[in-house]
Amino acid sequence: MKDKFDEAIETQIVDATEAPVVRLRSQRKRLFRTFIRNRPAILGVILMLLVVFMALFADDWFIAVFQGRDPQPLLAPYDPLEQDTANRLAPPSREHWMGLDSYGRDMLSRIIYGSRVSLLVGIVSVIIGGVIGALMGLMGGYLGGKTENVLMRAADILMAFPSLIMGLMVLAVLGGGLFNMILAIGIVLAPTFARVAHSSTLSVKQNEYVEAARSIGASNFRIARLHVLPNIVSELVVLASIWIASAIRVEANLSFIGLGVSPPTPAWGSMIRDGTKYLFQAPWVSLFPGLAILITVLAFNLLGDGLRDVLDPKLQN
Amino acid sequence: MIRYIASRLLLAIPTVLAVLTLVFFVVRVIPGDPATAALGDYASQEAVEALREKMGLNDPLYVQYFRFLSDLLRGDLGTSMITGKEISDLVRQVLPYTLELTITAIFIGTILGVPLGIYTARHVNTSIDYIGRVVSLAGLSVPAFYLGILIMLTFAYKIPIFPAVGGGDLTDLNSNLRHLVLPAMTLGLIMTASVTRLTRSAMLNVLKDDYVRTARAKGLSERIVVLRHALRAALVPIVSIIGVWAASLVADSVLTETVFARPGLGKMLVSAIMQRDYTLLQSVMVIYALFVVGINLITDIIYSFVDPRITH
Amino acid sequence: MKRFVLLGSILLLLLFALAACAQATPGAPAEEPPAAQPTEKPAEPTEKPAEPTEAPPEPSEPMVLRYADKAADLGTMDPHFAAATNDRNLVDMIFNALVRYKPGDGSTFEPDLAVSLPEPEVVDGKQVWTFELRKGVMCQETKETPAYELTSEDVVYSLQKSANPDTSAYAGEYNGMTVEALDDYTVKITLEQPISPILFFPKVADYAGGFIICKQHYENVGAEGFKTNPAGTGPFKFESYTPQDKVVLVANDAYFRGRPKLDRVEYRFMPELNSRELGLKSGDLDVINGQNESDWVKRMDQEEGISVDVYGVGEVATIHFNTSVKPLDDVRVRKAIAYALDRDEFLALFGGPPVAEKVYSAVPAKFLPGGLTKEEVEELGLDYARDLEKAKQLLAEAGYPDGFSLEVVSSERESYLKPYTSMQAQLAKIGIDIKITTVDHSSMHKLIRQDVNPIVVYVAWRPNADVYLTRFYHSDSIVVTGAKPDTNFSHYAGIDDLIEAARVEQDADKQVQMWKDAQIKLLEEMISYPILYMNQVTARHDYVDYGHELKSVLALYPQIDETTTINK
Repeated sequence: MKDKFDEAIETQIVDATEAPVVRLRSQRKRLFRTFIRNRPAILGVILMLLVVFMALFADDWFIAVFQGRDPQPLLAPYDPLEQDTANRLAPPSREHWMGLDSYGRDMLSRIIYGSRVSLLVGIVSVIIGGVIGALMGLMGGYLGGKTENVLMRAADILMAFPSLIMGLMVLAVLGGGLFNMILAIGIVLAPTFARVAHSSTLSVKQNEYVEAARSIGASNFRIARLHVLPNIVSELVVLASIWIASAIRVEANLSFIGLGVSPPTPAWGSMIRDGTKYLFQAPWVSLFPGLAILITVLAFNLLGDGLRDVLDPKLQN
Repeated sequence: MIRYIASRLLLAIPTVLAVLTLVFFVVRVIPGDPATAALGDYASQEAVEALREKMGLNDPLYVQYFRFLSDLLRGDLGTSMITGKEISDLVRQVLPYTLELTITAIFIGTILGVPLGIYTARHVNTSIDYIGRVVSLAGLSVPAFYLGILIMLTFAYKIPIFPAVGGGDLTDLNSNLRHLVLPAMTLGLIMTASVTRLTRSAMLNVLKDDYVRTARAKGLSERIVVLRHALRAALVPIVSIIGVWAASLVADSVLTETVFARPGLGKMLVSAIMQRDYTLLQSVMVIYALFVVGINLITDIIYSFVDPRITH
Repeated sequence: MKRFVLLGSILLLLLFALAACAQATPGAPAEEPPAAQPTEKPAEPTEKPAEPTEAPPEPSEPMVLRYADKAADLGTMDPHFAAATNDRNLVDMIFNALVRYKPGDGSTFEPDLAVSLPEPEVVDGKQVWTFELRKGVMCQETKETPAYELTSEDVVYSLQKSANPDTSAYAGEYNGMTVEALDDYTVKITLEQPISPILFFPKVADYAGGFIICKQHYENVGAEGFKTNPAGTGPFKFESYTPQDKVVLVANDAYFRGRPKLDRVEYRFMPELNSRELGLKSGDLDVINGQNESDWVKRMDQEEGISVDVYGVGEVATIHFNTSVKPLDDVRVRKAIAYALDRDEFLALFGGPPVAEKVYSAVPAKFLPGGLTKEEVEELGLDYARDLEKAKQLLAEAGYPDGFSLEVVSSERESYLKPYTSMQAQLAKIGIDIKITTVDHSSMHKLIRQDVNPIVVYVAWRPNADVYLTRFYHSDSIVVTGAKPDTNFSHYAGIDDLIEAARVEQDADKQVQMWKDAQIKLLEEMISYPILYMNQVTARHDYVDYGHELKSVLALYPQIDETTTINK
């Protein structure tokens, strides 16, 4: 069954063997210009900077650290831990733009402070999972044979652990703490990256230009880096931007088994979790952290799409 | 191909064994034990000790481990430490609910996600594309829990056309399907979001490829170009993400199951952890690991159907 | 294209195979009843024991009560192991005991399987209680066991089972007790050590170890089988259990107080509050377990056709200080903490009364004799009303003018996390920094028993003052190091003599006074700080009539019995 598909691939081979692999400085400039012209991507950058700004300047730690005192709220209008129990679950008002939570704490301040933990968890755990997973999938798919069996079955094993059990394992072996939680989420995400990277690599390595590169004696590492990786990276970037929201939310499930940050430290995932108990009574308590996650995810995805276009090898010539 | 499948099935044994061993030891390291969990905080110390003895928790770990393995080899999943019921019975009662939910959700996610992805990819950077992207991102950001309640509020309370609670009666197809609609919709919509995104990206990749250009140049209709040439080339990563979803839905639909008060394997896993029901947890993990291995095998096989150049 | 057809059919086949494996496994007797149809059975006007003069009930719709509890799944229906709220609820409907707490009112005892409440006699220094059993009480008919009359044999068997740690979680309560049958309808209970009725009746009442099971059925299905296939003498009998879904009970036609008005009770497991609420509003459910917050109560009460009941017994939340570690070994530090705390702050997190109310002594005075009321405590000057200046001064005297820091673990459950978080915020004001780590509920119970927390918040109901005081403050109960390590988190040993003396005191007034004295000592030394108790909250449709008023129920639910009905 040799159909149009195969024919098409053959056509592609002719051009692809000549695909330039050397990146020049002038090319980088061009990439930058491509990115700048991508308006959604710029919106993504702006939103991203906004969230990062929020995380950095929630309080005046950068001054306090020199003065040797506790940081005071800067962007945040109130202390995120201060309880006003008499007015708990108060709706949004002029004093409290996002209302109060179930302990009577200012929601806006908690969202601003919460960006710290949530951003860290969202970005770092996805990077950990993405790098580990992509390496596993890429090596497994490219090298094949025993390496493939070992790496991909290892991915199967990791995949068989739901986040809660993986969290408990990390807790049992490494103990609590924010970084261990990030690690646990990273490990949970890794096999999904591995599966997608593996499948794409299988597909890409069939292309003649990979064969061609091999025939002129390029090392495996070089081929993987220059010919395979650029062709699978766009799927990985999309996947990464997909998992960020999950990672931020999973934090809530893990902090309640003692991994990660403890109460009353604000984090968006835990805030949603708390808020859902008051879904019908005080919907804002879960709505605002939900929106915060949405905006962050939006930023990452628009950014991811922009990067995708830039990294797409087909746009480089 | 048959040799490949056989070798993969053989490899499933060490994979499952590794999962099992990890689970076995980890649950015993975390604080708490099934005897205390079963008896509650009011129970007397002697009763807790007696129950620990009866559960075999006072035996050395390796004795417990090999006892569990040998039972498993004989096909005996054991009994729950809390309810004392045969685990095979519990699983048999719960699995149909999990399977029907997972399969329906994947069906919805695929049938909506792939066409939407293709559509937005073909209309890239138009207002339709922007709307599609934002909506699917919203889908990614909404917790299953939230969406579930919202769907329940709408279709079980405001417009009461579907039942709000329970998994329905397995022997009664009508009741069963009616109870399935809302939770499947919840999970399906969430899955749609990520399938749409990945499909869009994969399609964008191939639509720019030379052979698609070639196909176009040959004067083939756009429909044929997109569906027969581009989609096929983009299908491999799409299949792999659907596979990833299939595996994770079996265990990670806990929130949806909880909202709709449905029985499910994922829920069973979580309550086994919370109650420190070691035997139940171990056995459910064995079954879940088999699922993961099976689903991954199936997706790996599908790759070579989708892209004939991939041979195993 | 052919490839795709082939692939599609392989996939379909696989799916069907999986589905078939899941469903078609043969065997498995008890559960999965020939469901759906048995609903009609009880409604048929053929039951024999009911008075024949009564007009046969209309063959109308069976009357079904649909109850949703917050538990995720069943634990056990063996009453001597039932500890979780849902398990206690279910066994309350299936079993009886020799005596019972009056339905809806846990402060009064009345006869249940016994004809009357006996008076104790003293024989050779031992205390003897003789119970005369009702005649004609039938053990429920099951698949394994035909119906038969309950006799002293079952009662003796049952109480001996309760006393055995292998077959009961509550064996400790029955030390020094012998049970024997004098004849088919007379049971004699002998106690080595005489105790007052207030301490004796709970042991043979419808709570924990006191429930009477049917011996023949227990022996037929075995100890493990009984957990999910029980039989007793109560108004409802077990019909089916679907894991994580529901337990179905049906009316016991032969119930000795008359056939229940309800035909069926569906007891659902629904851990998600919002779903229960929607299920109630949409009419899929009749009664639900609510949220322990007064705001929720108010909001639901306003819904048309829905009423919320708030009733005891209330579980008491208490802060225990470990008096054996620094800096809490200094009474001034403990008092400083007490003066820094305000019960109103804790209460506010539950929306205040009626769901949560203040408690001033280890034993809740509202529900149990022996507790101290607000007035009593104020008169003694032991109410520790908030006084931050005094608190700071005491801390300074103790050598901690800038406060100190502590680490504690808390359960993830609201009933624990709220008091811990509130305490954290309040103590921060006098410079005490508390770091909380949340862990899951089981882990917390294990960890606090290993003495990891210098300050323990504990939430519990205990059936009488003696149990409260013994298990939380007797030196034998000290965690880790006690003779019988239990829940004495404060490592306190100062009221052993009072507890022991009160236990054997026959004069009720003197007994209560001793309990009060013991608790005054606890307050004087600030061994523990009682915060609040949390009432039960259930919401129902107005058409549900429980058949009794709700004041306090030890079984922790509105108590569904033969008088409960639905007036649609």
